[in-house]
Amino acid sequence: MAAPRSCVLWRCCGRGWSRAMRGCQLPGLRSSWPGGPLGMRLLSQEKATTETHFGFETVSEKEKGGKVYQVFESVAKKYDVMNDMMSLGIHRVWKDLLLWKMRPVPGTQLLDVAGGTGLTWVLGDAEELPFDDDKFDIYTIAFGIRNVTHIDQALQEAHRVLKPGGRFLCLEFSQVNNPLISRLYDLYSFQVIPVLGEVIAGDWKSYQYLIESIRRFPSQVEFKEMIEDAGFHKVTYESLTSGIVAIHSGFKL
Amino acid sequence: MSAAMATLLRRALRPLGRLPGGPWPAADVPLRARSHGAGLLYPDHIPTSPLQKALLAAGSAGMALYDPYRHDMVAVLGETTGHRTLKVLRDQMRKDPEGARILQERPRISLSTLNLGKLQSLPEGSLGREYLRFLDENRVSPDTRAPTRFVDDEELAYVIQRYREVHDMLHTLLGMPTNILGEIVVKWFEAVQTGLPMCILGALFGPIRLSARTLQVLVSELIPWAVQNGRRAPSVLNVYYERRWDQPLGALREELGITAPPMHIQGMA
Repeated sequence: MAAPRSCVLWRCCGRGWSRAMRGCQLPGLRSSWPGGPLGMRLLSQEKATTETHFGFETVSEKEKGGKVYQVFESVAKKYDVMNDMMSLGIHRVWKDLLLWKMRPVPGTQLLDVAGGTGLTWVLGDAEELPFDDDKFDIYTIAFGIRNVTHIDQALQEAHRVLKPGGRFLCLEFSQVNNPLISRLYDLYSFQVIPVLGEVIAGDWKSYQYLIESIRRFPSQVEFKEMIEDAGFHKVTYESLTSGIVAIHSGFKL
Repeated sequence: MSAAMATLLRRALRPLGRLPGGPWPAADVPLRARSHGAGLLYPDHIPTSPLQKALLAAGSAGMALYDPYRHDMVAVLGETTGHRTLKVLRDQMRKDPEGARILQERPRISLSTLNLGKLQSLPEGSLGREYLRFLDENRVSPDTRAPTRFVDDEELAYVIQRYREVHDMLHTLLGMPTNILGEIVVKWFEAVQTGLPMCILGALFGPIRLSARTLQVLVSELIPWAVQNGRRAPSVLNVYYERRWDQPLGALREELGITAPPMHIQGMA
């Protein structure tokens, strides 16, 4: 992402992984599980330390980190080209909108996590950032948080490193709100994207993972609640392109 | 009630979001569910819809033309366009005693299955020795062949894999190097022999990047020779190469009706 030169921009190339479905793991919502919320919470936590999802596959949490890493190793070389091809350049519009929303001014201390290609970097883990508390004015993460194994930890870290009054901004794939567009989007995602990945990058599986991981990510409302759980206030979201992506925003008080 | 308990309860009461069964369009579900584990016909299998196959075929053809070094695209093209032809080839193999044995035993030509020491010790001029020499001189390895992925039939997946592994044998039999000209000549032979759409396309479009002089040699001498030999020879997929390592190359060529190439083309193209 391009940013005005007068901001201090740190990019944290994160490598933390996450299991996104915390909400739906709670077995209280499945009839086969016994006991009350507390008992089930412990059970789900036990299960949580062993298994998670990797797209539509089930893998152990330990494995997931490595597998996601491999995906990004594989896609890194053709990252920008593929983003342009898959979204027909629209990803640039989304990122511009994100920047517009944050309206950084000279002197803003900005942390961009899972930064991708571009500026100078600090290598770190989104679930355990190598920065002190209360350091940044703005924390952004664009198309990164979906791949983190423990999203809640990444959110907590975001909260920690932000100054009081600081803002959290996340641009991420979300749930399409229109049934017709949803069908077209699914068709495009599942029929075209892996083919593009194979033809351009020689890599079907990474792009299959990509589209599956998008469907695994929580909805706008669910993610808003996760952000609130991490301690953010005035959490809002804005859907773009019929909800294909959404920008979530929250403040640390 | 503690803050922790409150959070716990609040989360527990949150509406269920992303169930794996999800609100997916029904048509897509079987395909996607199949793409992990249970629905695979063979280890590297990637099930694809007809639309995906069409897109892959078009895309791989375009990319192979645009970037000739994308050998993987040629492989993908073969897999996505070859289904009908592979059936014909498979049936041909079944009817031939040696071919049927190959289908049964499923031999693979790879460094792990080849006994390199034994091949080295074979007499000069034997198939095995000459095959090794070919690998050496052209600095290739049988293991660089990517596995089949997009063929939706396990036996046909083996047939196309066999065809690829036999490709190197053909270089040896025809005495063709692995430069662009040699590859085109082998493609013409394969196109006539197998009828695979990918071979036909490769034979027709491969020469696009050649110089006029080379093209002239190709068209006037090499292609006629390749076509003649391709038509005359019995199916090369029915030859159990792994059991013929000590057969003199000359004898095998005679058996298959393969004559010497019209010229030595190493260094051309």
